[in-house]
Amino acid sequence: MKLEIQNVSKKYSKDKYGLKDFSIHIEKGILGLLGPNGAGKSTLLKMIATVNKPTNGIISLNKNNIVKDANYMRKQLGFLPQDFGVYPNLNAYEFLEYMAAMKGVGGKNLRPRITQLLEGLNLLDAAKKQIGSYSGGMKQRVGIAQVLLNNPKIVIFDEPTVGLDPEERVRFRNLISDLANNCIVILSSHIVSDIDTIADKVAIMKSGTLLSYGNQEEIINQVTDKVFETTIAKEDLTAFKITQIVVSTSRKNNQLVVRYIADVPVENSIKKEGNLEDAYLYLTKIN
Amino acid sequence: MNSFLTIIKLDYLQRTRSYAFLITLCATLAIAYTFVPEPNANYSTIRIADYVGYYNSAWFGYVTAIMTSIFLSLIGFYLVNSGIKTDSNTRVGQIVAATRIKNFSYLFSKVLSNFLLLLTIAAVVFIMSIILFFLYNDGYPFKLFQFIKPYAVITIPALFIISVLAVISEMFLEKYSIVQNIGFFVFFSVLMVFSPKTENQFSLDIFGSKIVMYQLEETVREITNTDKDTDLSIGYVLGNTKKPDKFLFEGIDFSTSFLLSRFVWMALGILLLFLVSVLFHRFDVKERGYAKISKVKTINQSLIKNVDLSRLPSAKVNYSMFPLLKTEILLLLRKGKKWLWIINLIGVVLLAVLPLITAHQMVLPILWFLQVSRLSVLSNKETISNVHYFSFTAFKPLRRLLVSQLFSGIILMLFLALPLIVRLGLLTNITAVTSILLGSLFITSLAVCLGILSKGKKLFEVLFFMITYANINGIPFADYFGGFEHSNFYLIVLTLFVLLFCSVIFIKRKHELNN
Repeated sequence: MKLEIQNVSKKYSKDKYGLKDFSIHIEKGILGLLGPNGAGKSTLLKMIATVNKPTNGIISLNKNNIVKDANYMRKQLGFLPQDFGVYPNLNAYEFLEYMAAMKGVGGKNLRPRITQLLEGLNLLDAAKKQIGSYSGGMKQRVGIAQVLLNNPKIVIFDEPTVGLDPEERVRFRNLISDLANNCIVILSSHIVSDIDTIADKVAIMKSGTLLSYGNQEEIINQVTDKVFETTIAKEDLTAFKITQIVVSTSRKNNQLVVRYIADVPVENSIKKEGNLEDAYLYLTKIN
Repeated sequence: MNSFLTIIKLDYLQRTRSYAFLITLCATLAIAYTFVPEPNANYSTIRIADYVGYYNSAWFGYVTAIMTSIFLSLIGFYLVNSGIKTDSNTRVGQIVAATRIKNFSYLFSKVLSNFLLLLTIAAVVFIMSIILFFLYNDGYPFKLFQFIKPYAVITIPALFIISVLAVISEMFLEKYSIVQNIGFFVFFSVLMVFSPKTENQFSLDIFGSKIVMYQLEETVREITNTDKDTDLSIGYVLGNTKKPDKFLFEGIDFSTSFLLSRFVWMALGILLLFLVSVLFHRFDVKERGYAKISKVKTINQSLIKNVDLSRLPSAKVNYSMFPLLKTEILLLLRKGKKWLWIINLIGVVLLAVLPLITAHQMVLPILWFLQVSRLSVLSNKETISNVHYFSFTAFKPLRRLLVSQLFSGIILMLFLALPLIVRLGLLTNITAVTSILLGSLFITSLAVCLGILSKGKKLFEVLFFMITYANINGIPFADYFGGFEHSNFYLIVLTLFVLLFCSVIFIKRKHELNN
């Protein structure tokens, strides 16, 4: 299972690109896509999911060009968009059967599969109620269920944890880890903690371009010896932010403890071990 | 004040910057071109017995102003009665509700936005009327005031009142669009039947057109020296082979009381809006339905359990279209209020028991029109419900999903027409049965076609309304279901239209999927 994205661009107008000359090779496991809003994550995911076509470049799955043969991808795709709706007049069973029919999945096992999915996602009690009466989190779980209907080989989650509470996020991450044993999972987020615990590889994007791609260690290595912590007065923070890349601040004894990234530390700083969030902020700020 | 004007401006821009509005303007241009027939045309729009006016400035100005006042009042209501609903659907309403804007200010801004929208369309007709004058005039001089006056006195106040009525009806019946549509149609029909004869009664005419019609009739009565009612016809009358006689119409000197009445109508509209604004829900709609959903919410307080992927029964490949078709039909049946099905069932019974001609010519088009809100979203409910990411990544979405959507619409229409089809079938009236089959194909494919082209439902809703209005008035060229026309040539033309619509549907949807 290999997904190759070669020199892909998405051009919206003469000078406006959603994605520019983007290349990446993805194999089995979890790829975490990180980037600020407007980085092009959703644009990339929609093109992989065959919702949109690239202006230039090739996207191929197992050497099949899915730009030309979208149905090859669609047969094995599970896609959870960032912002999706449901038909409010259908109940969860009916909606999932409809989704299954769209994906070309059926047979006598379909109903028990849906039942098990609904049970696992704790929707069985409400399964016969119209989805219009569901809360946001419940609708999100219906969205997760439809991803798993067709035993997908490529799974795309675009900002999937929106609407889930903290404990649900943890369970959802476990589910993604299980899924990744047999397929490619691409997970986008602008929240680093959603990615760093489960992603095998991480791609950091900004303004439609790829800033960095590799294992978490390889990404984090880029901020080795660059992460520091110091204590400053509250009123000095604004000036400090102008000269340094501030990762986080916390209050301590009426002062601020500042974690920052720099090649040369300021006086009275303590060197800290870098993490993915440091690397992400460093790469998106310097580029 | 500035923020109030900004709201109106932005609302107006938001509504006019749509593909559907562009199509509406183009359609308006085309329709306005027919308001004053070309001298040798075989149809008439306003004709008093065998008379029409000389083609001078007054005739062009007054005829187009009356036609605009009547037609834009009728169609305009349906064009603009979704401003609050749009705010509700886009959740902008919730933001509005959290601001300091007063109910009346918000509703009045919607009225003015509606009014500007209708004025834009009226302006297109106005310009077209001047162009037509220069194309067809009988050698009379161009007098701009004869164009401006009827629009200012008749059309503009009528459009303002329609804008108010649209907002008020939407405010109370937001969730019952079919009730709004039928209710306004009845209201409009009653007003059209109203026939004032005196100065005071003319002031009661909301559309302001009766006084002009009366004056036209009076002028012809004077020419023909008769006291009898003259046969005034308004609307498209085809097949006028007899060339009309001409009379000179030089406009009307409106009385002060009539002019005042036009302002009073507008002021009454604002007053009515002010009075009902205290009842505006201010987008607090979900809370009112909270009792219904609370049970589901309490059941589901718990979290995602563990999904054991290894124990899931394996999914089989199944490319059958039947499950898609089943759900599409289910979605059609569940759309709208359940009690509206009682009206549908009454219609079905009427098709079974009324005389064949009445059932075919009158009941069938009305019964089919009652499905307008179902048909209008056949091809774009994905976008409306934000399910398009799933639909557009479906396996073979054109051959399977789109076809099942088309079939579901056709099946619904044929199911409703079944008693009539059976009756005609028993009489072996194959042409009539074929016409109904083609009619269901025609109207469903038209709905899908316009839905895809306009990316909305309004255009089809308004057009279907116009077609049905023409059907009820027995205008032959709008007969898409074979109620009036029975020739084979007619069936061929209908088939060609269906093929054209289907071609557009597949080409356009394919283009959408590729982009």
